[in-house]
Amino acid sequence: MKTMQAPNQPTWRHWLRGNAFLFILLIGLILFPFIVGALTDSSPFGVPRGDRMIMRGESVRWQSVLIEVYILAILAMSYNLLFGFTGVISFGHALFFGVAGYVLGLMLEFTAIETGWALLLGALAGIAICGVLGLVVGLVTLRLKGVYFAIFTLAVAEMAFIFFGRWQLTRAEDGFAITELPLWLDPSQNRLNFYYVTLIAVVITFLFIRRLVNSPTGAVFKAIRENEDRAQSMGFNTLNYKLLSLTIAGMLAGAAGLLQVILNKKVGPELLGVSYTVDPLLMTIIGGIGTFSGPIIGAGGLHFLDVFLRDAELNLGGLVIDIANIWALLLGIIFILTVIVFPFGIIGTWQRWRARRKPPA
Amino acid sequence: MTPILEVRDIHTFIGQFHILEGVSVSVASGGITVLLGRNGAGKTTTLRSIMGLTPPTRGSIQFEGNPIQGKSTHAIAQMGIGYVPEHRAIFKGLTVRENLILAERKTGDYARKADFIFELFPDLKRLIELPGGNLSGGQQQMLAVARALVPDNRLLLIDEPSEGLAPVIIEQLIAAIQRLADQVSVLLVEQNFRVASKLAQSYVIIEEGHSRVNGAMNELVGDQSLIQRYLGVA
Repeated sequence: MKTMQAPNQPTWRHWLRGNAFLFILLIGLILFPFIVGALTDSSPFGVPRGDRMIMRGESVRWQSVLIEVYILAILAMSYNLLFGFTGVISFGHALFFGVAGYVLGLMLEFTAIETGWALLLGALAGIAICGVLGLVVGLVTLRLKGVYFAIFTLAVAEMAFIFFGRWQLTRAEDGFAITELPLWLDPSQNRLNFYYVTLIAVVITFLFIRRLVNSPTGAVFKAIRENEDRAQSMGFNTLNYKLLSLTIAGMLAGAAGLLQVILNKKVGPELLGVSYTVDPLLMTIIGGIGTFSGPIIGAGGLHFLDVFLRDAELNLGGLVIDIANIWALLLGIIFILTVIVFPFGIIGTWQRWRARRKPPA
Repeated sequence: MTPILEVRDIHTFIGQFHILEGVSVSVASGGITVLLGRNGAGKTTTLRSIMGLTPPTRGSIQFEGNPIQGKSTHAIAQMGIGYVPEHRAIFKGLTVRENLILAERKTGDYARKADFIFELFPDLKRLIELPGGNLSGGQQQMLAVARALVPDNRLLLIDEPSEGLAPVIIEQLIAAIQRLADQVSVLLVEQNFRVASKLAQSYVIIEEGHSRVNGAMNELVGDQSLIQRYLGVA
């Protein structure tokens, strides 16, 4: 009789084999600023001028593109935990992203706390408040099913958007700039450091979500996604599990919001805008709903398209079209095509294709 | 002997439709009771009402002497009632092992019951790492029943286990349900009268949302006029 035991080899080697692709990708991303620097003959640290650094050169420019991808990836992964693994569709994810950003900004700019401590306190408070917010919004709304829940979350996020857009203390629609940041983290002085901070955040988020989803709690999440009645019939209080999923997803989205504020050194109501809900939704669908790496691929793909195409011009026999003007249309077409070609997202479709080619023994 | 489950005159609405208009069912401790009746009579709704999935608006349901109507579904399940819904209600995206472990109410339930489960359903042991969706219809039904056996349930509600299965598979299922009935009481919904008569000791006939007749199975088997009246197709 065949046994189901794992191949007899050291576990770390087994682990490495299962994650070889991700491991190589990670090493590539760690070396990325230096590779770009070497290829374009630019310093990954920027150009020194006096005792300050000027963020100029290809390597530094590409670092900021990837930092944005990482932040969006964390946001999309958190959305995927809720939407892809638990089956709860929220239209208010920007709420967490923005609120955490505002908490950090207020702590840095509006309190007399010393900068380093303000950063730490602001980050912890931002994430904690997002957790509480997830719990409260969930308690009020998670009894609603499907579309009703989604509409309610949209309303809550829009309320926050309108509130912060009018709050005089935070300069209403203009928002306010972050002027105090510890030098080592400041992306306009030490962008390379911030690059690694965001990369580490992506790796931790990825490993955390994978661990969570593969745990017994994660199995209940997936059971709720497949059929909530059935999960209840087995004795699970599904409301508690959905609350847990929403709370964790909210805290992770809050972490992404913190990083966004540090990157842009600015806090404004656009952090609560609907695009920070729609983008992670699209990224998750394009990358693969309910896959671990799908949201990262989706975030990278969409953001690179954005960077490359938005400022490009299309020359159609003398007729010059500025892509920026038709960007939304183009994005729509890309989305439709992706969904047709990859009905389960890029990663999801690839996994199914591979599973068909190599049926389990 | 006191019944393990006592359903008295329950009324259930689904939306605006009055589906159950007075159903009473009594399940004896340690035996199999079957709900009989034509399509749409309200058999599945009776099971769903017991589980609190479609809560009854009137009437009482007692499990081991404790009222359970009005409780939430998960609380009812935790009291010791396992529900095996119709259409092989397994989680298709989870493996067989994950499906079984998910059913644990206390850590270690699965390990404790694994031998008993694999003795009833030897196929499942071989398929343990496959996603539930890759199993055949019969294997999925076995998994659905096995899942309800993982925690220490004292009553199983099983809805149409034989539906759409090959005769050979049905025989296996009958044997398995007969064996598990040594350990748990069963309330069964079964359209296939041959299967029902083999398994159950007592029956309740439901017609148009009312429970009409009940009694011992061996009496019903001999009563052709009763069978014709409530179950006959013609």
